[in-house]
Amino acid sequence: MSRQKLARLGLDLPLLPTSTVGSFPKTPELAAARTKYARKELTRPELEALEKKATEYWVRAQEEIGLDVLVDGEQYRGDMVAHFAEIMGGFRTGGLVRSYGNRYYHKPIIVGPVRWPAPMTVAWWRWTQSLTTKPVKGMLTGPYTIMDWSFNDYYPDRKSACLALAREIRKEVEALIEAGAKIIQIDEPAISVRQEELPFAIEALSLTVDGLPAYFITHACYGAFETIYPDMLELPVDNLDLAISNSALDLLKIFEKDPFTKDLSLGVLDVHSHKIETREEIRARIMRGLRVLPTERIWVDPDCGLKTRTVEESRAKLAAMVGIVRTLRAELPKTP
Amino acid sequence: MELTLTTAGSYPRIGDAPDLQRHRQAYGQRERGELSEEAFGEVEDEVTAAAIREQIEAGIELVTDGQIRWYDPYSHLARRLEGIEINGLLRLFDTNVYFRQPVVRGRVHRRGPILLPEYEFARSVSSRPIKPVLTGPYTLARGSILGGAYASVHALALAYADPLAQEVRDLAGAGATLIQVDEPAILRHPEDLNVLEEALAPLAAERGTSRLMLHTSFGDVTPLYRDLQAMPVDVLGLDFTYGPKLAMLIAEAGSDKPLALGLIDARNTKLETREGVFPILDTVLPALKVGQAFLMPSCGLEFLPRDRARQKLETMKRLRDAYLGGRS
Repeated sequence: MSRQKLARLGLDLPLLPTSTVGSFPKTPELAAARTKYARKELTRPELEALEKKATEYWVRAQEEIGLDVLVDGEQYRGDMVAHFAEIMGGFRTGGLVRSYGNRYYHKPIIVGPVRWPAPMTVAWWRWTQSLTTKPVKGMLTGPYTIMDWSFNDYYPDRKSACLALAREIRKEVEALIEAGAKIIQIDEPAISVRQEELPFAIEALSLTVDGLPAYFITHACYGAFETIYPDMLELPVDNLDLAISNSALDLLKIFEKDPFTKDLSLGVLDVHSHKIETREEIRARIMRGLRVLPTERIWVDPDCGLKTRTVEESRAKLAAMVGIVRTLRAELPKTP
Repeated sequence: MELTLTTAGSYPRIGDAPDLQRHRQAYGQRERGELSEEAFGEVEDEVTAAAIREQIEAGIELVTDGQIRWYDPYSHLARRLEGIEINGLLRLFDTNVYFRQPVVRGRVHRRGPILLPEYEFARSVSSRPIKPVLTGPYTLARGSILGGAYASVHALALAYADPLAQEVRDLAGAGATLIQVDEPAILRHPEDLNVLEEALAPLAAERGTSRLMLHTSFGDVTPLYRDLQAMPVDVLGLDFTYGPKLAMLIAEAGSDKPLALGLIDARNTKLETREGVFPILDTVLPALKVGQAFLMPSCGLEFLPRDRARQKLETMKRLRDAYLGGRS
């Protein structure tokens, strides 16, 4: 049981641990600074100082709200794949491609052997952890998603690119653990896009985490359940974080047929909506999970990163979530 | 053996060079109310003409208009139909591209020609024939939120088939000799082959002397290959990038219809080589019972940066010429 694993790692979390998926909105001050930096009106150290200030703001905010497992809020990141592609060896920034409407982005291209250069996230993790006594999650993008969201000029096929990435990202996992991280989230939002590739996506994540002493969480996006359940249970992680609050899926029916074997992070806040969820709505979403899994195996979080919401919306949504979780903790029967 | 070079639909609207940013800038200006719809339309005309020119310069013999005016494969057609509203964004199959989902509110019917003026403009600026591309009725229905008078994907597919058949009639009447109908959604729902066949029938009935090409992408067509041979269309367009066994199957099963071979990966920047392409041509071409085939990218080229899209087409032309040259 993963609660035992958490205990072994020295983590004493309350029932229904609350956390977030990773990103918070950039603070208005930082957003303005990023624009200035892009126009070369600000130096790199000046920007970094503001990124740190924004990170500290979000650490305090998470503590005030009462979240149990914190994140650094990714104030220094743009895109979750490009961020790593820019640091790692073997990538080149690609030309612009359209995402929708008038939105374009630079999709990275793998042009040589991918290479872990040195710790990429450890300094941010260490600094964030130094600001709080609550555990801070290490946050990485998984090998399958980095592969899928990049072009590949170098490797003979998608699988070999993915496995090569997995071996390099493992070095980052090891560096985070060495620095003291006990909970590491490896995001794989692309994991369900090509069902037939799930076997090597699982193989890749195994290369990244097998045998390493941390509690691993993987965040996927909507649709994962419909397309790759129950096969996704073979992902070698302790906790699957799934955006299911929005969907009408009957978990009970699905889990009756194929029991869910991991801890489940229930995404109970809709990050794409401005509306602040009511306590009743959140309670109902958590209860859907509690009907099908023991309390000890459920975590509570938003259904995705909050970066597209405003600072105020993010805080209000999380406060509502933590409030109802506290009520539930008091109401729920204690399991022996 | 004739191996005609064609493209599969979209073409990148902008490039990285400053002079290739026109469309993006104009789009922003229009959104901010600084550019009229009419002036934006002129920019779309310019960019369409440039996309056609690039295809022709790269050696493409049957070109598309690059679908420069299409927001996405669904809403471009659906928003011009009566009975449809357009909703939020949804991921397009396994891509990083998003489309706006049609929501059915009432009876679906056509207000007037949608693609005809676009086709006529494209033809007026092209020295090569234009292949119009439209999203098929089944895929449109699968991507829509059901409502109005339609309780099933089946019913909605048939409802979309009627305005699309009118589109086919208009385009055929205007002189299009080959019209491409994209039906990628069938690859994920093989149980609906009968629905697809029924929904394509009205389009086939209106095609006159033009030919219909049924195109599938974003998945492996191998399991459905034999069934697609029975569809009421004249040409099959096949994405080879997902199906390692597709070439062998075609070699075994043959083809009664001309095939458009999507051997050039439009989703990845890596340029194809003769080592990759020639063996597949060697396997597939002898099995074709008709003398004509097409060579094309696996899907629309908009997934690639503009410069790489062009290089893909140039590569395709070079490979085709070398292949035929080596065998003549």
